[in-house]
Amino acid sequence: MNTSPNHERHATAPGAIDDEQRGEFSRRKVLGGAMAATALVAAGPINSSAYGASADPDSDPYMMAFLVLSQALTGIRIINLAPEFAPDKNNPGVLNADPGTDPINVKNDYFKWINTSDPAIFEKLLQIAREHSTSASDIINGVNASDDTRFLARSITLLWYLGSWYRPADLKSAPPTGKLLDSTVVSAKAYTQGRVWQIAQAHPMGYSNMQFGYWSRDPKDPKTPDPLNFISATIP
Amino acid sequence: MAASCITCDVAIVGSGFAGSLIANELSQSGLKVVILEAGRGVQPNINDDMNRFYNAGAKVPESASPPDMLGDPLKLAAGRPTTLMLGPDWNKPEKSYLVQKGPRPFTSTYERAAGGTGHWLGTSLRLVPSDFTMKSSFGKGASHFPFPDWPKDINSKTLSAWYGKAEAELGVSADVGEQSFLGIEFPSDYSYPMPRIPGSLLDRHIGDALAQLTPEKTKFLGMDKPVTSIKVRSLPAARNSEPYRNRRACAGNTNCIPICPIQAKYDPTITLNEATNHGAQLVDHAVASEIIIENDRVRQINFIRYDKETSPHTEPGCIKAKVFVIAANAIETPRLLLMSKNKGRTAKGVANSSGLVGRHLMDHPYYLAWALMPPGKPVFPYRGPLITSGIGDLCDGPFRARRAAFRMDIGNEGWNFVVAGEKFGSDPHVTTIDFINGTNASGLNVAEHNQLGKNNAALLGVDLAKKLSDLMTRQFRIGFLVEQEPDPSNRVTLSELRDVLGLQRPAIHYNISDYTRQGIVAAYRMQKLIFEKMGATDFTQLPVAPPSGPTQFEEKIDGKPVTLSYGGAGHIMGTYRMGEDPKTSVVNSFQRSHDHDNLYLVGSGTFPTGGTANPTLTLSALALRTADKIACSLRS
Repeated sequence: MNTSPNHERHATAPGAIDDEQRGEFSRRKVLGGAMAATALVAAGPINSSAYGASADPDSDPYMMAFLVLSQALTGIRIINLAPEFAPDKNNPGVLNADPGTDPINVKNDYFKWINTSDPAIFEKLLQIAREHSTSASDIINGVNASDDTRFLARSITLLWYLGSWYRPADLKSAPPTGKLLDSTVVSAKAYTQGRVWQIAQAHPMGYSNMQFGYWSRDPKDPKTPDPLNFISATIP
Repeated sequence: MAASCITCDVAIVGSGFAGSLIANELSQSGLKVVILEAGRGVQPNINDDMNRFYNAGAKVPESASPPDMLGDPLKLAAGRPTTLMLGPDWNKPEKSYLVQKGPRPFTSTYERAAGGTGHWLGTSLRLVPSDFTMKSSFGKGASHFPFPDWPKDINSKTLSAWYGKAEAELGVSADVGEQSFLGIEFPSDYSYPMPRIPGSLLDRHIGDALAQLTPEKTKFLGMDKPVTSIKVRSLPAARNSEPYRNRRACAGNTNCIPICPIQAKYDPTITLNEATNHGAQLVDHAVASEIIIENDRVRQINFIRYDKETSPHTEPGCIKAKVFVIAANAIETPRLLLMSKNKGRTAKGVANSSGLVGRHLMDHPYYLAWALMPPGKPVFPYRGPLITSGIGDLCDGPFRARRAAFRMDIGNEGWNFVVAGEKFGSDPHVTTIDFINGTNASGLNVAEHNQLGKNNAALLGVDLAKKLSDLMTRQFRIGFLVEQEPDPSNRVTLSELRDVLGLQRPAIHYNISDYTRQGIVAAYRMQKLIFEKMGATDFTQLPVAPPSGPTQFEEKIDGKPVTLSYGGAGHIMGTYRMGEDPKTSVVNSFQRSHDHDNLYLVGSGTFPTGGTANPTLTLSALALRTADKIACSLRS
C-alpha cells in the first residue's frame, strides 16, 4: 500500500500568522532546550505578556473560562481536557476551580495559540462561557449567535479534536461540498493529544499506549468502564 | 580521481532490502564490502523521524523523512518521487522528480536513504507456484501472451529454502497451515519465526461476508474451484508478534507506513547495522554516476559525494572491486545502467545488449474502495497494524489466461487512506471538519447517512462527539492489488533534464493494458459483492469527476458504463528481467548480468512477472541466493 493519485492535500503553505506561531513554538523549544523530540514532554512556562494580549492562561479564572468553553464545544469533560483539574467542593462555581497543571498541558498551548490568533473574539467567547458556565447548550447557542464567534468556536473545536489549527476565515469561506483547507499541526504533542482518536475509540496513528493484540478485541470490554464516558454535556 | 579509488571485494550500490541483505551475508563470510548509499546514512535513532511525522500536515508515506525540497524538487541531489508530487502536476517535470511521459501516471514512490524504502507495510508473502510459470500454465498456444516463465531453476520448490532464510532475517509472523494454499508448500519441519499476527474485528466481518458467497454470484471470477473454499487469511508480515532479535512485539500503532514508532516492523537498517558491525563500510550521500566497463567486465563505479540535499557541494569518487552489485531499485538501477555509456563504448548502456534495460516496468495497480457499516455494527478501525489479513485465494486460477489476477487486502485504518478520494486530505480530519463546519467532503453529512434529518449538519458539543464516534467506528476500506502484464513500452528511460548533480533524471512511460483493466473490473465486481453481503454502503469516489482523470478509465459492466481508477502499490518491478536467454533478458537466475560476469543486478527489477504478492520477500530470497553465489565464486 503506498499511494493513490490526487494527493494535493496540504501541499499549500500555511498562512503567515500560523507560520509566526509555529516559529514562536519552535524557538521556544530551542531556547527551553528540554523539549524532547517525542511528544511526551510539556512545554515550559512562557511569560504571556510576550503575546501582547490581555487574556492570561496563567490566571486560573481565565483558564477555567477557557475549559468551560472547551467542554461545551467539544462535548468532552473538563477532567479529560485538563487531567489535573480539581473542582473545589466548598466553592461550587466551576469558574473558581483550580485548572491544575498537568504534564501535557496542551490547554495552555491552545489558549496562547487562540489568544495570539484572535484575542478580541476569543475574549467574547470566554465571556459567553463565563455567563453560561453551567449550561453547554446555552454556550453553544451563544457562540452560534454571530459569525465571528461561531467560526472561531469551530476552529477551537477542531484544535481540541485534531491538534491542528484551521483559520476561522477559511472555515467560513468553505463551500458546502468541502474544500482542502490549509492547516497547521500545532505541535507533535498536539497531534498525539487529538481527542477525535478517543472519540473513535482508537488512538492517534503512530502513538498507541495499547498492547499487542488489542485490535482483535472489542473496545467495549464489559469489565472496563465505558470507553466513551468522557463525553458529557454536564459542566464540569 | 583514480588514485583515491576505494578498493574492496564487493561494491554494492544501494542499501535497501537487497543491498543490505547481500552486504550482511558477504561481510559475515569475511569479504570486504563497501556500500554506496545515495541518500542519508543510518540515523542514530528514530526520534527526528517521529517528530517530523507528528508535525506533518499531510501524513503521507514520505512524511517521516521528506526530501529537503525548499519548494523545488529539482534541486535535489538524491531526487525521488513523493506522494505529494502525484497530484495534478504529475506530468510537470518542474514539479515532479520522475519525468512522466504518460499516457498514464506511474503512481508509486520510493526512498533514497540507508535502509531503502523503509516505509513499507511489512507484508511478506511468498509467490504462488504458478506465478513463476505464467506462460506454461496459462499461455500455451496463445498467439499473444506477454507473461514469460521465470528461469527453470527459480520456482516455488527451489526458492523455498531461500524464502525460509529471508523469513528468518526479516522476522516474519505467520502460520504455516494457513499459508499452505494454492500449491505453496513448506518443508514438513518448517515453522515461521513467530506466530501469526491476530486478525482485526473487520477481518472477521469480511470473513463472515465471504461465507455467504454463492457459486452463481461469483461466476465472473472464473475460478476452477468452489467459491466456498475462499477465506480470509492473516497476512505473513515482517512485524513481530513476540519479541524477536532484540525488537519488541507490535503494539498496534496503526502506522506501519510511514514509520513504526517501536521498530516492531522490520526495516533494512536492522540488517545494515549487522553488516557494518561485521566490517562492511557504508558510504552515504554518494550517488553512483557511471559503471566503467573494461574488457566486458566492470572495472570500477564512479560516484559523486555531496554534503546537503539542496545546492550541494560535491566531489567525485570511485570504487574498485572484484564483484559489483547494483541494488538501487527498479527505477534508479536502470537509470544508472543507461547513464553508463563509457564514452560511447556502451552507447545503449551497461548490461544492455538485449535492449531490455528499463523495459517491462510493472507495479500492482491498486484499486481501492471504501464503505460504511450499517448503524449498530461498528468495526472499530484506526486500531492495530494497517493491514492484518487479506484474501489471497483469488490470485490464481484459469482466468489468468484472459484477465489479471488480484489479491485483496483489508485495511484497519478506516478511511484514513481513502476518504473522498483524498481530494480534501485524510480522515479522521475530513469527516471531523464536515460535521463541525457543515460541509460534506466525506459524503457522510447527508440526511440519509447522518440520521440528523438534514444535509450539511454543523454540530458542536456532545452531539458532535457522539455522531463522530458512531460514524468513524463504522468506516472501513478494502484494496485490490492487481497483476500487471510486462509490457515493453512501459519503461524507464533517461530524460534530457538533469538533476542538481548533472545526472539525467529518469523518464517514465506507463500505461495500463486491457488485461490489467479486466482484472480491475473483476475486483470492482468482487468489491460490490462483499459490500452487499456486509450490508455496507459504498462511499467510493473517483479522484476527479468521471470520465476524465489520468488514472481513470471507463468499462461497460453489466451493460452500464462504470468509471474505475487505480493508484500505486509501491511495488516497482521488472526493468531488468531475469531469464535464460540473453536476447530476451538482462540477468540470469542468479541475477548476474548476461553481459558482464562480475556485475549483479538485484531487487524486484529482475522479476519477469509480478504476480500479486508484495515483492519484498521474494526479492529478499533472491538476494540471499545471489549472496551465496557471490561468496562461492569469490572463494573459488
